[in-house]
Amino acid sequence: MSTRWLTQPERGNRALIRLITWMTLRFGRPVTRCFLYPICLYFVLFSGGTQRISRDYLRRILGRPPHWRDVFRHYHAFASTIHDRVYLLSGRHGYFDIRMEGATTLRTVLEQKRGCILLGSHLGSFEVLRAHGLFAQQLPISVVMHEAAASNLNAVLHSLQPEIRERIIPPGAADTMLAVKERLDRGELIGILGDRVLGDERTTTCEFLGEPRLFPEGPFLLAGLLQVPIVLFFGLYRGGKQYDIHFELLTNSISLNRDRRSEELRPWIERYVSRLEHYCRLSPYNWFNFYDRPDDVGPSPSHV
Amino acid sequence: MTTPLKTGPATESSLERDVAKLLVDSLRLEMQPEHIDPSAALFGDGLGLDSIDMLEIALVVSKRYGVELRSENRAAFGSLRALAAHIAGNRTK
Repeated sequence: MSTRWLTQPERGNRALIRLITWMTLRFGRPVTRCFLYPICLYFVLFSGGTQRISRDYLRRILGRPPHWRDVFRHYHAFASTIHDRVYLLSGRHGYFDIRMEGATTLRTVLEQKRGCILLGSHLGSFEVLRAHGLFAQQLPISVVMHEAAASNLNAVLHSLQPEIRERIIPPGAADTMLAVKERLDRGELIGILGDRVLGDERTTTCEFLGEPRLFPEGPFLLAGLLQVPIVLFFGLYRGGKQYDIHFELLTNSISLNRDRRSEELRPWIERYVSRLEHYCRLSPYNWFNFYDRPDDVGPSPSHV
Repeated sequence: MTTPLKTGPATESSLERDVAKLLVDSLRLEMQPEHIDPSAALFGDGLGLDSIDMLEIALVVSKRYGVELRSENRAAFGSLRALAAHIAGNRTK
């Protein structure tokens, strides 16, 4: 029995995911959403490790010991956003009521034609921004993330929208940041999730909901080196068919002194974390960072 | 630590030394430029540089030599020697 289903969806069976995806498209959202209830109930009962992470987070955000119904609600929100990725990636945006707040902020930045880092998080749905932004709003968004091949779930989902593959920049390669620079130079948007450390990244420790947690410095360093703005985005799932996308300008540019970089980045990372906390409070069941744990804090591999 | 091998024309190895110094200065590497093995990988296991360092190298190389390093020039940032050779073949200043 898998107890790490939520944290490691790549272990899911590809044929099974295909079947579920097919059913999802064949029978439509209202019908297949009913299946999310027994699935989530199953995982409330049998997912030990993930549930500890969920409960730990819920206790901190709700300020009380979480009830099993809170865990269920948390899983259900997560399952809903994965289920909805099928519709978002296959272009069935009509199912959803997507509100955008701060869209003028993003438009103003785009008009400057200097590119922009869209800094997101594992809060809510990233797909609602990527698929809806890329295909319905025609925003030129590329995303720094591990390639679809690494995950059965992503492999199946991305096959619904093959163009999305060309817009994925795998992290951790020698030319990752050069590829990012080239797209920014063309005035495009680069989506990065700023709340999970990928491999040997440079990191800084910040307080998140009262506990120390590692955050990557990379996106902020990139903005400083290339002098591009950072716009924060949060794609919150509000239940039913409602998604709210929020954009906020974090900064138009970050100035960096070569010998005091970490100190200069820190206030920006703290500002990002405090906005993340704000949106966590707004949508407490939307936090889907089931992989990282607060006790992941260890020595930073940074060599600067 | 290995010392740089004296191979190729004198101008090339002097460019290699200049580039080594540029890397050490701009990335604040805790080593002497002459201690960089010219054939060691810059990225990952060799010199231990990451993707952001590679971006910084591209920025300083463009500023100093007028050579643009693009993501498709993968071979050019394989090692100090490859980087110096790429600069020698494309420099505008």
